[in-house]
Amino acid sequence: MNSHIAVELTGVTKRYRGTTALDAVDLSLRPGITGLLGPNGAGKTTLLRILATVLAPEAGEVRLLGRAPAAAAPLAEIRRRLGYLPQEMGFPRSFSCFAFVDYMAVLKEWSAAAPRHEEVRRVLDLVDLADVSAKRIRALSGGQRRRVGLAQALLGAPDLLLLDEPTTGVDPEQRVSLRQLLSAAGERSTVLLSTHQTEDVAALCDRVIVLDRGRILHDGGVRDLVATATGRVWLADAPDPGARASWRTGTGKYRNVGAFAPEGSERTDPTLEDAYLLLLGSRAPVTEAAA
Amino acid sequence: MTATWHADDGALSRYVAGDAGPVDGASIEQHLLHCPDCRARIAGHIPARPLDLVWDRIRQGVEEPRPSPVQRGLVRAGLSDSDALLVAAAPSLRPSWLLGLAGTLGFVALSVAYGGARGLAFFLLVAPLVPVVGVAFAYGPDVDPAYEVGRAAPYPATRLLLLRTAAVLATCLPLVAVTSLVVPGLDAAAFAWLLPALAFTAVVLAASTWCRPAVAATAVGLGWAGAVGTAAVLRDATAVLTPTLLAAYCLLGGGSALVLRLRLRAIPPPGS
Repeated sequence: MNSHIAVELTGVTKRYRGTTALDAVDLSLRPGITGLLGPNGAGKTTLLRILATVLAPEAGEVRLLGRAPAAAAPLAEIRRRLGYLPQEMGFPRSFSCFAFVDYMAVLKEWSAAAPRHEEVRRVLDLVDLADVSAKRIRALSGGQRRRVGLAQALLGAPDLLLLDEPTTGVDPEQRVSLRQLLSAAGERSTVLLSTHQTEDVAALCDRVIVLDRGRILHDGGVRDLVATATGRVWLADAPDPGARASWRTGTGKYRNVGAFAPEGSERTDPTLEDAYLLLLGSRAPVTEAAA
Repeated sequence: MTATWHADDGALSRYVAGDAGPVDGASIEQHLLHCPDCRARIAGHIPARPLDLVWDRIRQGVEEPRPSPVQRGLVRAGLSDSDALLVAAAPSLRPSWLLGLAGTLGFVALSVAYGGARGLAFFLLVAPLVPVVGVAFAYGPDVDPAYEVGRAAPYPATRLLLLRTAAVLATCLPLVAVTSLVVPGLDAAAFAWLLPALAFTAVVLAASTWCRPAVAATAVGLGWAGAVGTAAVLRDATAVLTPTLLAAYCLLGGGSALVLRLRLRAIPPPGS
């Protein structure tokens, strides 16, 4: 495995009309899968767009795959080794699944038809879309479209893979299949996985970054973050008004995530979601409906 | 029917390789038709590589759809298959767009034929803006649904923009030119519209190094509509095509092309 630093950000700041999306973010990523969590508006998509070289920061230094993406030559070199799945992916209306991935392969400088088509078939196979490759994209389901987006990101087995909500709209069976795919990609590449699905992060990542209001709240091991919630999650017959979040589980017991479990309560193992909620504890309490 | 004899491995191997000779080859072929045992054994004599190739071709046939009519037309026109794919993704080169353009030009032709001075003003308003609108709808975040992900790819944005611009000009200009030539009464305007058309296209391309092509095209369109409208109200719409103004369009187009050349790498502006 390549242990070089693939991403290095120093003091990166980005503002949109007075709103700070990223506030002096320092970050370095090595090969492996890193999860990126955060509430809506935390700056996750801005961070991914900067790393994908489609957005320039206002301040700070960016180095990707050992190069600064300021000049044309290193920028092109970075983009050759980059795979990017944006949060909102659009497709040309009339294109089939195969034609779109083929189109993206041309943009990734696969000009010779035979090897390009072979690579397109390879990535469509990886995301389990070979059977529908001739179908028009507008006839595919939302989950299938998401997988088309993922297929184009995997073209050329990139060294840096940036994925913004890759499992949105994907059914549980496909999600497990995508986890296998991403875990294999993480063996040789640097993968940054931005998601709201804490279970995906828990299943795939050894490191997690939590972003809130443009700043990094947590950067460390997934287990370390989960450990911060130890002793703070308990089951009870009634919701605890003092808990950060409380909801009725399928067993009829209430799962309370709060400051510390009361004496004599039935403590339970915390999940990454519990720890994440507690980390964001300074925000307004989460209601049962929202949880 | 069960065969009373079986081909040995050497004979099967020679048959597969095409070295069995005409007599033995025909004999083995006939035998294989009736002997399931030998048919089962012959598979082991076929090298894996040709089988992979056959399987690849079958998969290719099933999984790779035929290129779209637009792509096939572009390849026939001389583009490589990869360039044809890049051009076919432009919204303003879809068949529906071209059909809409043909309909618009038909309406313009009828206006010129039967609308007198107003019809001529309508032609002068529309003709130079056809390629401008085509270019504005060929590339950029407003019109290209895959723009964001395309920006993260190494393919030069400038080449993509210019490639699609060339394709737009190659399809739009002949359509407008044919319209102008078949409609009676246009006189010098039948050719003169080409200069503002090319100049405005160059302006949009140059301006797209600062802003989105759709914004630049809107500004150009509004400016041109104002000029043609004012000329039509004050005197005659053809006042926008005086020799002095035609020379000005040449200068505008040349200047814009120069700006574009100097700012090619700035498409689109960083941080957009």
